[in-house]
Amino acid sequence: MDPILKLNAISRHYKVGAEEIQALKSVSIEINKNEYVALMGPSGSGKSTLMNIIGCLDTPTSGEYFLNGKDVSKMEDDDLAEIRNKEIGFVFQTFNLLPRLSALDNVALPLIYAGFNKQTRIDRASEVLAQVSLSDRVHHKPNELSGGQRQRVAIARALVNNPSIILADEPTGNLDSKTSHEIMALFEEIYKKGNTIILVTHEEDIAQHAHRIVRLKDGLVESDTLNGQRIKKESIV
Amino acid sequence: MSLYLKLFFESIVFAFSALIANKLRTILSLLGITIGIFSIISVFTMVDSLERKVRSSVSTLGSNVVFIQKWPWEFGGDYPWWKYWQRPLPSLDEMHEIEKRSEMASSVSFMASTKKVISSGSIVLENVSVLAVSNNYDKVKKIEISKGRYFTELELKAGKNIVLIGSAVEENLFLNANSLGLDIKVFGRKYKVVGVLKREGQSMLGESMDDQIIVPVNNAINFIDLKSENTNPTVMIEAKATIPNQQLKDELTGLMRSMRKLKPATEDNFSLNETSLLLNGFDKLFGVINLSGAFIGFFSILVGGFGIANIMFVSVKERTNIIGIQKSLGAKNSFILFQFLSEAVFLCLLGGFIGLVLVYFTSLLLSEILDFEIILAFKNIITGLFISLVIGLVSGIIPAYFASRLNPVDAIRSN
Ligand SMILES: Nc1ncnc2c1ncn2[C@@H]1O[C@H](COP(=O)(O)OP(=O)(O)OP(=O)(O)O)[C@@H](O)[C@H]1O
Ligand SMILES: [Mg+2]
Repeated sequence: MDPILKLNAISRHYKVGAEEIQALKSVSIEINKNEYVALMGPSGSGKSTLMNIIGCLDTPTSGEYFLNGKDVSKMEDDDLAEIRNKEIGFVFQTFNLLPRLSALDNVALPLIYAGFNKQTRIDRASEVLAQVSLSDRVHHKPNELSGGQRQRVAIARALVNNPSIILADEPTGNLDSKTSHEIMALFEEIYKKGNTIILVTHEEDIAQHAHRIVRLKDGLVESDTLNGQRIKKESIV
Repeated sequence: MSLYLKLFFESIVFAFSALIANKLRTILSLLGITIGIFSIISVFTMVDSLERKVRSSVSTLGSNVVFIQKWPWEFGGDYPWWKYWQRPLPSLDEMHEIEKRSEMASSVSFMASTKKVISSGSIVLENVSVLAVSNNYDKVKKIEISKGRYFTELELKAGKNIVLIGSAVEENLFLNANSLGLDIKVFGRKYKVVGVLKREGQSMLGESMDDQIIVPVNNAINFIDLKSENTNPTVMIEAKATIPNQQLKDELTGLMRSMRKLKPATEDNFSLNETSLLLNGFDKLFGVINLSGAFIGFFSILVGGFGIANIMFVSVKERTNIIGIQKSLGAKNSFILFQFLSEAVFLCLLGGFIGLVLVYFTSLLLSEILDFEIILAFKNIITGLFISLVIGLVSGIIPAYFASRLNPVDAIRSN
């Protein structure tokens, strides 16, 4: 089976004044369809930088990146925008909802950029909001929702266009532990439906939800292991 | 294509909701454009209205009338007055001669004017224009009479002491009471009022008919010196319906030259004036006013444009985070560009619209006050909106481009 995502010696350097920061030195990873990967590592190790490149928000300084077999490392802005819209579902630590739009409108946003008509957008957005158990909050603005609810709106938005990969950068970082578990349960469901998930986290217990744990350090992959605990659990079931 | 239109429409909806959300700022930023459009369009409107008034004033003179006078109607710096000042004045005899001999004239009339004191009872008006006219003046000038009648041919020939008065003169002398059949005194002599002229309102060509009185020239020769430059004696000839002015002028040139016995080599010692000459002069004048209006307006618009550009930059800065989110969700650069551009255009159109509304109400108000109709023409509404549109595009393009090129990662991170 071809990997859904293939990174080949990806590097990302930042110039800050005269200094050059090597946020990513050389990262090579392959991720298959319906994998659930946790990305871990100390602060500043390059996790977010890597996620941004995988999410086509940023382009690597060097290296190759194939997404669904397409080389996206050399694409232009508009093509990247289309990939982000169709192939990627982003979930951020700070939710990043548009404050003036209702939950429904926030979820429908990617569908606008995809060019769907209004009725389709409303139908599809309501459907995903139901999936994240927010049918009773569709017309609420973000500031009328709890943190956990906001993150669920954000997850619904990430799912709305049926992307190939869900990228979540510390999705529970701003949530208490009870809410974190609810959100992780939601990711579990999404994963079970056949989605591919990459999740950045600092917390070991959150990472234990994943099948595979990739650890970064100083812009390099330090370890890339299957999560024995989880696989064992599954085989028991 | 339809997808693009859809996206464009969505951009505008986005822009609109952003404007609603920042009402106060929106209003303040509109102000510059509003003032700019107000100043530019009010000048255009003023000039248009003046121009319309001038044209209608000129048209009361008749476009198919030739005026034989000593001085030509010319404008401009190099008016060769030294050529004209020794010319003879047109005379009543010449008028009669032309009336007899011209084939192309439908009516011919003579007119001279002076200023005199007139009175009725204890009411005295000084410096009233007295027009001394011959037969057919009513036809050439197309004067309208609201009460009474024009002079008869016999009365004119006999030079009776009768008078037609302007509507303002009637109001002033008779305090709105009926004046027909009553006497007024002109330069100490009694004249019977036989008619009152229809109200003309403000005229763009000197004095309005409303302030004048008209007497038969054969009577007026007793107190008007037709040989004096000051009375501006004029022979007026109206062409027959099918005759072009030029043909009439050619004929008149021949007649005048033969009457005045000019040798073939000598220049004409009279001028054949037409209303089109007047219009040419006014066209030049209005061109200059319009240009200066456009110039002043241009600078106010420029200031307004900078205001909009500034507010757009602030708006982009403030919404950088949201732009980043939109981009992360797949908004293309062009979507963001349209979004901010349409916001700027919308702002400017709104500002321009308010400016136009102000012009409209100002024109209504001034029309009331000035006794002169000022009309905000459709053409000027379109001009105003078009200028607003262009300013919106020009002042919005740089902030919008800046927004569209933001790096999504940096944009999301900013807060
Ligand atoms: N835009 C930037 N300009 C300069 N340096 C940057 C930029 N973005 C990230 N870096 C640097 O790159 C390195 C990796 O940053 P990154 O955000 O990927 O770390 P991280 O692993 O996500 O850390 P954390 O766990 O704290 O979120 C850091 O040293 C950071 O300072
Ligand atoms: Mg990070």
